[in-house]
Amino acid sequence: MVYGRKRLVASAVKNLTAISASHLPKFPPSQATKSPKATNFDAEAWAAIQPPPPSALSAFAHRIGLGAVLTDTDVILQACTHPSAQYLAKQQDPNAPPLATNAHLGVLGNALMGLFATEYVHASYPYLPTRVLKAAVTAHVGPLTCSNVAQEMGAASLLRWHRQPPAPTGSYQAPLQRSDALASIPRSLTALVYQTRSLPSARQFVHSYFLSREVDIRSMIKFVDPKKALKEMVQKFQREPPKSRLLKETGRFSNSPIFVVGIYSGNDQIGEGFGASLRMAEYRAAEDALLRVYLTRTPPEQLQLPTSTFPLGVGDVFRDAPEGMYVPPSLEQAEIMYASGGNSGAVAQSSITA
Amino acid sequence: MLRSIASAPSFTRAYATKLAKWPRPKPGTAERPAYHAPDPLLNNPKAVVTELPDEDLTFIHRPPPTAPSPFSLTTNPVSPLLRPRPPQAEMPLPPPSRTPSKELPRASGQTMSEIRRLRALDPERYTCGVLARKFNVTRGFVQAIAALKKSQRKSKKRAQELVHQQARDKWSEKKTTLMMIKTKRRELW
Repeated sequence: MVYGRKRLVASAVKNLTAISASHLPKFPPSQATKSPKATNFDAEAWAAIQPPPPSALSAFAHRIGLGAVLTDTDVILQACTHPSAQYLAKQQDPNAPPLATNAHLGVLGNALMGLFATEYVHASYPYLPTRVLKAAVTAHVGPLTCSNVAQEMGAASLLRWHRQPPAPTGSYQAPLQRSDALASIPRSLTALVYQTRSLPSARQFVHSYFLSREVDIRSMIKFVDPKKALKEMVQKFQREPPKSRLLKETGRFSNSPIFVVGIYSGNDQIGEGFGASLRMAEYRAAEDALLRVYLTRTPPEQLQLPTSTFPLGVGDVFRDAPEGMYVPPSLEQAEIMYASGGNSGAVAQSSITA
Repeated sequence: MLRSIASAPSFTRAYATKLAKWPRPKPGTAERPAYHAPDPLLNNPKAVVTELPDEDLTFIHRPPPTAPSPFSLTTNPVSPLLRPRPPQAEMPLPPPSRTPSKELPRASGQTMSEIRRLRALDPERYTCGVLARKFNVTRGFVQAIAALKKSQRKSKKRAQELVHQQARDKWSEKKTTLMMIKTKRRELW
């Protein structure tokens, strides 16, 4: 084969996706066999809108452990169809009824996932600042995580979507990305579990796929002025103002000094840090003092989630049924109002929640 | 043309102005004797000693000196702020890391109202530094009690940014590189 001809064939087959045709009512489609000028047939668009075989959908449900929950393959197909696929369906047959998409399921599932993630992160880290809490929730159930989980589940081959260009309105509209379309699948699955089973079941699904993932919260906490923040925090706890003290030093006038500074509130050392200069060591000590409070977490075996008050079993969670066991913890007020108004005058209660 | 080693330029001088050996140690450097670190095995306040008299064993755990541990549980928090406050007994503490600046006397209400009046009168003339020196307070104190309106602060910040940018444009390439290194190092604190 001549090189030029080989390359032509390679580029021609590059964008073609092989679709399973055994379950289709009519294959090949009538437009494909007629003259392309007469029918204006786009094979790629036709292939993109064809549903995957029911066996693949059923296998997907069993693979993710929802074989008994999602028994109807049409429902699974709906969960894997992004609203943008409607454009392709209309292109093929303008008179057909609208496609069943996962728009509503996605919204419901997103709200549920946000609820479960927020209560979990808040219960695990009671002292975490609100901004960091939001970042942690996004890391657990945000759009990028959802799309990664969808790929891990193997839903990428079942997704039906269309990369539609944004409407030319005055304001800027970000174009639809494949990760956004993929992210809609786990959300729809959560909503389906909630609808067919119960809220505790949906919570279990989210916990096993999203909240068991490792998230580094330390890297989300950044300080502009940790000394100022620590001063406010210590004031809230009604302790002596922080004072930095030199614990150890070496090489003070050399080109590589090391200073170890401890930050004290009265007689108690609340933080420790090292640095190449005194200011750097004090900065790190203040950071350490703040992190020791922020990253205090509840032991996993003692975790209590508010949604555990909902009754177990299939059905509406608001029905008249016995409530689950829940002991509310004391709400911590260590969040400081640094760099904002902060006239609340609230005082923290430094009690250990046993 | 080969030059002999003898005629090559050397760096020896008859006089020794810049190569002064005395006084020693050189002024501005450490004038203390050499530092000998204390033996951590002796008198370590953080040592935890556990004795098993039956087996005639003694376990001594000495944690490393710099081991900041953000790993803490609500049932066993690492920060003393989250623990009940122990009675504050008189005990020797390490020295402060930097000598504290002289404490200024507390400003009276009259002084504070005067500062506010002057600042509101003419912010360009009565700047925070000028008022701080006049009334013997700190600049931060003046900023806290006589803050300008947000719009004024923004316009002042913009004007100062222009001045700084003009100064930065005059820097040589070497200076710019060094300042960028400094900024990066500060970011990595």
